[in-house]
Amino acid sequence: MKNIFTYFALGFGLFVGNVLFTSCEDKLDEPAENQVTSSEIDYSQSQNMIQPILGLYSKTYAIGWEVLPCLNVRGDDVNHGGEGDQQAFADIDNYIYDNNFWMINSAWEAQYRNIITSYATKDQLEAYKEAGADASKADQYMAESDVIKAWYLLSLVRNFNKILIPKASDPSLMLNQSLVSQTDGYQYIVDEMERVEDQLPAVRPGERTDIPGGVTRYTALAIEMLANLELNNWDAAAKNAGDIIGSNKFELMSDYYQLFKTPGKLCKENIFELQYSDFGTGSGDNKSHLWAFYGPQGWTPKITGAGSGWGFWEPSEKYIKFMLDRGEKTRLQTTVLFTNRGIADLETDSKYATLPSWISNTTPSGDVINDYARALFASGKHYLPSDQLISGRTEYGSNKNFTMIRYAEVLLSYAEAVVNGGAIQNGMSAVDAVNIVRTRAGLSKLTSVTLDDVLNEKFAELACEQGQRFWDLLRYKKYNELSYDGRTFTVDKEFLPYPLKQIDSLPVLAKEVAAETAATQKSAQ
Amino acid sequence: MRKLISLFFLLFVFGIWVQAQSTMVGGVILDESGEPIIGATVLSKESHKGTITDFDGKYQLSIEPTGTLVVSYMGFITKEVAVKNQTTINITLQEDSKSLDEVVVIGYGSMKTKDLTSSITTVKSDEILKNPNANVMQSLQGKVAGMQIISSGAPGASPTVRIRGIGSYPGSGNTNPLYVVDGVFYDTIDFLNPNDIASTSVLKDASASAIYGVRAANGVVLIETKSGHKNEKAKIEYNGYYGVQVAQNVLKMANSQQYTNYMLQSGSAANIQSVEDAMLRFGRSRVDASIPAPNTNWYDEILRTAETQNHAISISGGTDKAAYALGGSYFSQDGILDMENDFERINLRAKLDFDANEWLKVGGNVIISNIKAHGANNSAFQVAYFAPPIMPVMDPTNTEATPTAYSSAETIGFRDGKNPMVYMDNTNNLSETKKNLVTFYAKFNLIPEKLTFKTTFSDNFTSVNSRNVNKAYYLSPNAQRKDDSVTKNFSKYENKTWDNVLTYKDQFGDHSLTAMLGTSFQDNSYSGLWAEGLNFPIDSQQTWYISQAEDVPSQSVGDDGLHQYAMSYFGRVNYSYKNRYMLYGTVRRDGTSKYQEKWGIFPTIGLGWVISEENFFDVPQIDFLKIRASYGKLGNNSVAASSGSNTTTVETVALNDQLYSGTTTSSTYSELEWEEIYETNIGITAQAFDSRLSADMDYYKRKTDNAVIYVNNPLIGGSVRKNAGTIENSGFEVALSWQDKIGDFNYGVSGNIATLKNEVTSLYGQQYLDGGSAEFRQRTILGESLLAFYGWKTDGVYQNAQEIADDPIAVANQLEPGDYRFKDVNNDGVLDSEDRVVLGSFMPDFTYGLNFNVAYKQWELSVSTYGQSGNKILNRKRGEIIWTNDGNIDADLASNLWHGEGTSNKYVSAAGLSKSWNQKMSDYFVESGDFFRIQNIQLAYNVHAANWPVMRISLTAEKPFTFTNYNGFNPEVADGIDNQTYPIASTYTLGLNIKF
Repeated sequence: MKNIFTYFALGFGLFVGNVLFTSCEDKLDEPAENQVTSSEIDYSQSQNMIQPILGLYSKTYAIGWEVLPCLNVRGDDVNHGGEGDQQAFADIDNYIYDNNFWMINSAWEAQYRNIITSYATKDQLEAYKEAGADASKADQYMAESDVIKAWYLLSLVRNFNKILIPKASDPSLMLNQSLVSQTDGYQYIVDEMERVEDQLPAVRPGERTDIPGGVTRYTALAIEMLANLELNNWDAAAKNAGDIIGSNKFELMSDYYQLFKTPGKLCKENIFELQYSDFGTGSGDNKSHLWAFYGPQGWTPKITGAGSGWGFWEPSEKYIKFMLDRGEKTRLQTTVLFTNRGIADLETDSKYATLPSWISNTTPSGDVINDYARALFASGKHYLPSDQLISGRTEYGSNKNFTMIRYAEVLLSYAEAVVNGGAIQNGMSAVDAVNIVRTRAGLSKLTSVTLDDVLNEKFAELACEQGQRFWDLLRYKKYNELSYDGRTFTVDKEFLPYPLKQIDSLPVLAKEVAAETAATQKSAQ
Repeated sequence: MRKLISLFFLLFVFGIWVQAQSTMVGGVILDESGEPIIGATVLSKESHKGTITDFDGKYQLSIEPTGTLVVSYMGFITKEVAVKNQTTINITLQEDSKSLDEVVVIGYGSMKTKDLTSSITTVKSDEILKNPNANVMQSLQGKVAGMQIISSGAPGASPTVRIRGIGSYPGSGNTNPLYVVDGVFYDTIDFLNPNDIASTSVLKDASASAIYGVRAANGVVLIETKSGHKNEKAKIEYNGYYGVQVAQNVLKMANSQQYTNYMLQSGSAANIQSVEDAMLRFGRSRVDASIPAPNTNWYDEILRTAETQNHAISISGGTDKAAYALGGSYFSQDGILDMENDFERINLRAKLDFDANEWLKVGGNVIISNIKAHGANNSAFQVAYFAPPIMPVMDPTNTEATPTAYSSAETIGFRDGKNPMVYMDNTNNLSETKKNLVTFYAKFNLIPEKLTFKTTFSDNFTSVNSRNVNKAYYLSPNAQRKDDSVTKNFSKYENKTWDNVLTYKDQFGDHSLTAMLGTSFQDNSYSGLWAEGLNFPIDSQQTWYISQAEDVPSQSVGDDGLHQYAMSYFGRVNYSYKNRYMLYGTVRRDGTSKYQEKWGIFPTIGLGWVISEENFFDVPQIDFLKIRASYGKLGNNSVAASSGSNTTTVETVALNDQLYSGTTTSSTYSELEWEEIYETNIGITAQAFDSRLSADMDYYKRKTDNAVIYVNNPLIGGSVRKNAGTIENSGFEVALSWQDKIGDFNYGVSGNIATLKNEVTSLYGQQYLDGGSAEFRQRTILGESLLAFYGWKTDGVYQNAQEIADDPIAVANQLEPGDYRFKDVNNDGVLDSEDRVVLGSFMPDFTYGLNFNVAYKQWELSVSTYGQSGNKILNRKRGEIIWTNDGNIDADLASNLWHGEGTSNKYVSAAGLSKSWNQKMSDYFVESGDFFRIQNIQLAYNVHAANWPVMRISLTAEKPFTFTNYNGFNPEVADGIDNQTYPIASTYTLGLNIKF
C-alpha cells in the first residue's frame, strides 16, 4: 500500500512540478511595472509629440536658484549681500574663485544637464517624425531645443572660456571630447541659430498658443546677436537685432516698474522668460523660483504675512550714484529697494548729501524695506510687491516670472553694433534705438551717441539682471570699472575656474588646468 | 526540538530498559530553571545499566546502595552522584554552554555543530532576552564575531547589519542580510518579538549561505520561532519588563557666552547685529552684560525620558501526535524626542505540528504582527543643533506667532526661525503596519526514516498605512508653514513562497549521508497609492482625511506597483566518514525577473577534518579539534532593479499661468548583471579542558565581482549604476569562551574579535571612481577601501602674519592668520586638487565584544561590552556651515577656536570658519569613530520556593556607558556621514519571568 502511494506521490509530484515550474519560469520574463521604457512609447501618436518639448521647458524653468546668481554677480552693478554667509559667493563677487565651491559646480552641471536634455528631447522628436508626425512641427520643436541649448552654451562660454560642446544625448561621449576655444564656442552658437531660425515660428513668445511663452525665431535671433557681439561681428549683430526690430512684433512695456512684476508676464517686451505660476489659487499646485535669495530681509510688507528675502543681491552704490548723477528716477526706483541705512550711507558722501525726495525705504507699492545687516539695498527687479501676491500665498516673489532677454536689450545691442560700424537696418540709427529706451525711462532724447553713451545706457537699463554689464566691460576691456569698492580686477580673473568635481571626472579639463598652472608658473619665474 | 531529537536518539542507540535489581532509587532530573528533563539517561556507573526519564523528568533505577549514578543528557554536563543508601535522589543538571551535539538549522534542514564545515554562529534565546530591545538584531551587537550591528536610536527602528564587511556599493540596494524566519524570507525582522524566538543562527560564509543563492550575498540570519514538543505537558510562561530610556552622550553645544564670542569674532556685520538684536529683544545677561540673557540648551528642550515595556505570554506542549505553541506579546517604546513619537507592537503566534498518520505529517505556523508607530520629525534634531542659544524657547512679544508664541531667530536678524519646537508640535507621523505570516506544510515519509518529501507554502502579507500630518504655523515670515497638509500612503506587499524539498538520509557502516533536492518559487508584489490634501476647514484628528481637504494638488497624487518573480532549484549532499571526515556541497540555480540577465548558478563545497578523532591525536587537554575549509559562490539580487534602457517621466510646466504636462527622457541608464560573490573560509573549532574552553577561529576572503557601483556622469552630475569593479573583504574572526565553576560559584568569560579589510581590487580599467557629494568627496580608489573620505590634510593653523608671508601658498590664496595650513603633499608650491589624500574609511578595522557572567546560588550577574576601532566619521553637521553660517556650533569647537597667536593649532578662527578655504574637505571634518561601550549589565535573582512557580527577577542597564572622542551625538553612523541621527538612549529596566 505504502509503496504504491510512494510511487504515486513521486509521479504526481514530478508531473505537477514539471507543469508548474515551467509556467513559473515564464514569469521571469514579465516586464517591470509602472516604468515606461522609452522604447515602449508609441511614436505614431503624433499628438503626443509636444510632450518632450514641454518637458524640456519644464526642466529649463526649474533651474536651481544658485545658478544665475553665481554666474552674474561679478559686474559693478551688483554686489553680494553680506560677508560670512555663503562667503565663497561673496568671494566670487570679489574675483576670488574657489574651484571647490558648490555653487560653481552646480551652475556647471545644471546648464549641461539641460543641454543634454535638449538632445534627449530631439531624439524623441526625431522618433515621432520618423513615425510620421508633422515634419515641420517636429523640426520646429527640435529647433526650440537648439535655442534653449544655445542659451546655456552662451552662458558657459562667457563664464568658463574653453568649454565642451555636447553633440548628442549621451554625456559619457564627453569623456573623449576636446575643448572648444571661446571664439569657436560663440561661432557654434551663431551657426546653430542660423541653422534653425527659419524653422521657428515668427511670432512673439507671448503670442504663441501651442506653447505660450515658448521660444521663437526672435529668441534665436537675440541669442545669435549676443554671440555675434562677443565675436565683434558688428554687422551680423546689427542684422540680427534689425531682424527682430523690423518684425514689429515687439515693443517696450510703457511701465518700466511693472515690467518686472505680474503685469509684465509674457508682455510684448519679453523675448525669453522663465515662467512660474501659482495658477491663480491661494494653495495647491505651484511652480516657483527661489526669489527669496534676492529679496530684503525682515521687511514690513503691505500685506501682512508675506515672506521676506535673504538679502543676497545688493545693487551697488556705484550704480546708484551713477543713476543719481544721470538724474534717473524710474529705472533707479525700479532697480533698487532702499533701506534707511542705505540712504544714510549714501548721504555720508557729500556729493549725495541731499537725495531726491522720492528716495525712501517704502516702495512705490507700499512695502517697507527695513534695515538689515547683510546689505544696504535690495534688488527691485527681483521684487514682487506683497499686494501682487495671490491671496493665500506668502513665499517671496511667488508667481513672478524671470526674464532672460527682453527687447530693450536688443535695441541697445543694436545701437552698440551700429556705433561699432555695423550696418544700419530698417533705417534706424543707433541714437534712435537708444532714444526708444530713454523715452520709456522718462528721459530726454539724445541727438547722437558714442559707444560709451550706449554702454552707459545699457548699464542704466539692464543693471542687476543677467550680468550684461559684466560682459560689456570685458568685451571692451574696461577692467578699471570692475575695480571698485575695494575690489581689484585683473585680466586673469575673467573666467570662473572649472569645478573640481568636473576636473576629477573629465581628463580633458584636468589637462587644461595643468597646462594653465604650468604656464602661470613659467610666467612667474 | 533538541529534546525531542535526543529522545529518539537515546531510544535507538541505547534502547535499554532495565529491570529492577537491588535497591530502587528514584527521583526527578531537572534543569537549572527547575524544568524537568525528559529523556535524560540515568546509568549505574558500575553495571552500565540504566534508564531514561519520563515526561515528568522522573526515573527509577535499581542499583547497589554503594553505587554511583551517572546522569547525562544532550546539551548538559554529565553528572555523577553517589547513591549512599538514599532512595530518592533529585538531580539538577547544568546546561553545557557550547555543545557540539547541538543541532543547528542550516536552511531546508539541520546539522549538528560538530559536523559543520562552514562558519555559523548561533545565539540562544536567553542571551538575546537579556537586552531590552525591540529588534533581536540589536541584541546581537558584540555577540557574533564579524557581524557589525549599527544601532539606531529611533523607537522600534532596525539597526544596520553587516556581515563580514560590505561587498556591495552602499546605496545601490539593500545591504541587509537575508532573514529566514521558519523558512520564509524577509528583509527585516522588526515585526518579531524577541520573546518569540527560539534560536538565531548567523550563516557567515558563502558555503553556509549558498543554499539561499542570490538572496544570500549579505549573509543569512536564520530564525526559528518557539515550538512545542511532543509528549510535553503544557508549559505556561510570562516574560516581561518595564523600563525607562535616557539619552546618552548628549552633544554639548556652545552656550550663550561661547556663541556670542563666536558671532562677534566672525567679522560678519550680520552676525554682530544679531547679537545686538538678541540683547535688545531678550535682555542682557545679569552675569555678563555683554551677552544676551537667554542661554537655551536646545537639546534639553527637545529630549525627554521615555518609557519602554514588554510583556509576553506563551503556552506550549504536546501529545503523542501533536505539538503546539501559542503566544502573545506586547511591546511599546516611546521615543526620547519630546513629541508624539512611539512604537507599539502587538503580536500573536500559533504553531502546530501534527502526525496525521505514519506517512504524513502536517503543520502550520501563523504569526500576526501589528505595529503602530509615530515617527519622529528628525528636523527637530537638525534644527536643535543649529538653534542659537541666545534665543529663548518662548517669546511672548512674538504676538504674530501661531499657534504657540515660540521665538524666531528671524526676529534677531537670522535668515529663518531656527526654533526646533515648531517641528515637534506641528508634525504627526503615524504609521500602521500589519504583517501576517502564514505557512503550511505537508511532509510525506516516503521511505520511513530515509526518504521524506516536504512541500511548504507560505504567504506573507504586509500592509503599511501611513498618515503624515504637517500643520500650519507661523513664527515669522521665513519660519512658517502656510498650509496644513495630510499625506496618506497605503502600501501593500505580498510575498508568496512555495518550496518543495526531497530529503534522503542514510547510514551504512562508518558512512553517513544526507542528500536533499528542492525547488522554490517566489512571487513578490507591491502596490502603493498616495495623496496629499491641503487645509482642513475643521481641524481635528477626525478630519484628517483627503476628502475633507480644501485642496488636493494634482502633483501630489500617485501610485506605484512592482511584481517580481524568482524560481530556484537546489540540492545538497552532506557526507561524513567515521565522524572524522566531512564533505558538504550545495548547488543552487536561481532565476529572477529583476535583471536583464535572468539565471545564475551558485555552487559551494566544504570539507571538515576532526583531528581529535584520529588515533595519532594525543593531546589530553583538547577534547575536540576540527579543521574546516569551504569555498562558495553567491549572487546578489538585493541591488535595485535596473531599467536597462532609457526611461521617460512626466513633467509639468507653467505656461501662461496654465499647468501643462510633458515628458523628459533620461539620457543615461543602468543595465546590470548579477553581482557575484566568491568566498573562501578556513576555520578551526576546538574544545579543551573538559569542554570548559571553546574556541572558533576563522579566516575569510570574500570577493565581489561585477560589483554594482554608482559611476558619476561626467558633465551633468548625477550617476548611473554599472557593474564596474571588484571588492574584496577579508578578515580574521576569533571567538573564545571559558565556562567553569568553583563550588556554588559559576563563572564565564567570553570574547570575540573580528578584523576587517575592505579593498577595491579592480575598477575595470579606471583608477578611481568618485562618490559622496561634490563638497564632501568620497573616492573609491584601487587598493583602498570603498568610498574612502578624500580631501586635504590640515597641518595646523597659520599663527601670525610672518607665517603667512613665509608661505607662498598662503600669499597666493590671500590667507590670514587663523586660517588652516594644508599639506602641500606633492611639494609643488601650489595647493590644488593634486594635494588630496585618503582621509580614512567609514568601516572599522576591527570590532570586538567581551562578556562576563557569574552566578552564585540564586544570583546571576552578567556584563557585556562592545567596541569598534579604526573607522572615520564625516562630521557633516560641522560641514553645514558651507551652506548656512549663522547656526550654533558644538562646544568643543566654540571653546577652542583660534583667536590670536598660539591659541589653537587645531581649529581656525571664527571668521575662518566661514571661508571656503577652510571649508575644503579635510581631516578637520573627518573624525575618528572609535568607541567602547558597556552594552548591558544585568543582575538577576532566581526564586525557587516550594509551591511557587519558578521566577526570575532581573535589573538591567542597557547601553549605560559609551566612551568616544567623536564630536557628535553618536559614533554609530552606518555610512560614516553624520548628518542627522537619532541619539542612542540608555535603558534601565526591571524584568520578571515566571514559569508555571
